[in-house]
Amino acid sequence: MKRITIFLLSLWLANVASAAASSQRILARYQSLRPAAKDLGMYRLDWADSLDVALKRAAKEKRPVCLIIIHAKYGDIASGHC
Amino acid sequence: MLAQLQPYIVTSWHGHRNDADIPAAVKTVWGWKFQPSRGGFQQRQSNVDLALLNSDGIVVHTFDAAHHEQYGRGGIQQFTVRELNRAAPFLGLGKAPAKERPVKLPTLGGQRGIRVLVSLRDDRMIAYRAPVVEVVPMAKADWKPLAWPDKARTVKASALKSWLSQIYPPGVMDRTNPQTKVVYAIKSTTGDLKLTPIAAADGKRQAILRGVVRLTDEGPDDFSFQGIVEAVLTYKKGEATPQSLRGYFDGLYPRNDRQHRDIRWLPLQAAFESIPD
Repeated sequence: MKRITIFLLSLWLANVASAAASSQRILARYQSLRPAAKDLGMYRLDWADSLDVALKRAAKEKRPVCLIIIHAKYGDIASGHC
Repeated sequence: MLAQLQPYIVTSWHGHRNDADIPAAVKTVWGWKFQPSRGGFQQRQSNVDLALLNSDGIVVHTFDAAHHEQYGRGGIQQFTVRELNRAAPFLGLGKAPAKERPVKLPTLGGQRGIRVLVSLRDDRMIAYRAPVVEVVPMAKADWKPLAWPDKARTVKASALKSWLSQIYPPGVMDRTNPQTKVVYAIKSTTGDLKLTPIAAADGKRQAILRGVVRLTDEGPDDFSFQGIVEAVLTYKKGEATPQSLRGYFDGLYPRNDRQHRDIRWLPLQAAFESIPD
């Protein structure tokens, strides 16, 4: 009986260790697929949600505006799904 | 180019020439862009323009984002830097490079959600490799399919559609409605995922979500692609709602190659993370 208990316990521990390893592997894969800071340059820019917001802020902060005009019916350049 | 853009407040606008409410700055830019060509020579134009406005909202400089002579590797970027440098003195900007801002990814202003970072590994079109970052709000009910599993159970991919449906590449011209010019959205996410509880080494409760998901867009031809989804979820003791989610999608996207009348299978990958951290 004791042997069976030890056997089952070792099986359970192996399962826990393997699950933990699996979790570490998934998190490592997530990290490797997550774009690095060097690839996220778009998000180093000071984005405004709309031209109206940008113009109000520009007047207040005495700063210039870079307006990207897309001749299309759709396009979310801030998210990249354009 | 990013260095030259640091002093600016950056924004975008999209629309057509017959739209009702075209902003004054856009009217100015399009007035110049679409004026009759001199001497009958029409320059090559793209559908994207950059306009640089001073703090009073006056257009100081504008240029086509993909100037006709500047196609090719690095050409557009060099051209943009040159044009930004040309305009700098007229906007009171010095020659010294501005301090680089830290990366600030989109959030939901403190509301809970999932951030999806999508990358298409296109070896031919470098521009398409720029990551897409979307944030999807998640109410308490949206987390329910991922509630703590006392034992392994199946989660339908359709129950996670709100955020899985953000997995599609940017700028896919051939997946656009030819009439409306609007990108076909992902209409269904299908597949069975297994949510399995695990005992983590530090005593926290964790579960692993794993399975294959197929995404089908709303185009008329049942266009779809699929990939593996794996995620690690953590739960506070005694709580069923996940505390955090980190995971990925690893799949292949069939892209039409019109030139070679073939399909190119491109790696389409995404990282998911719950926000706020």
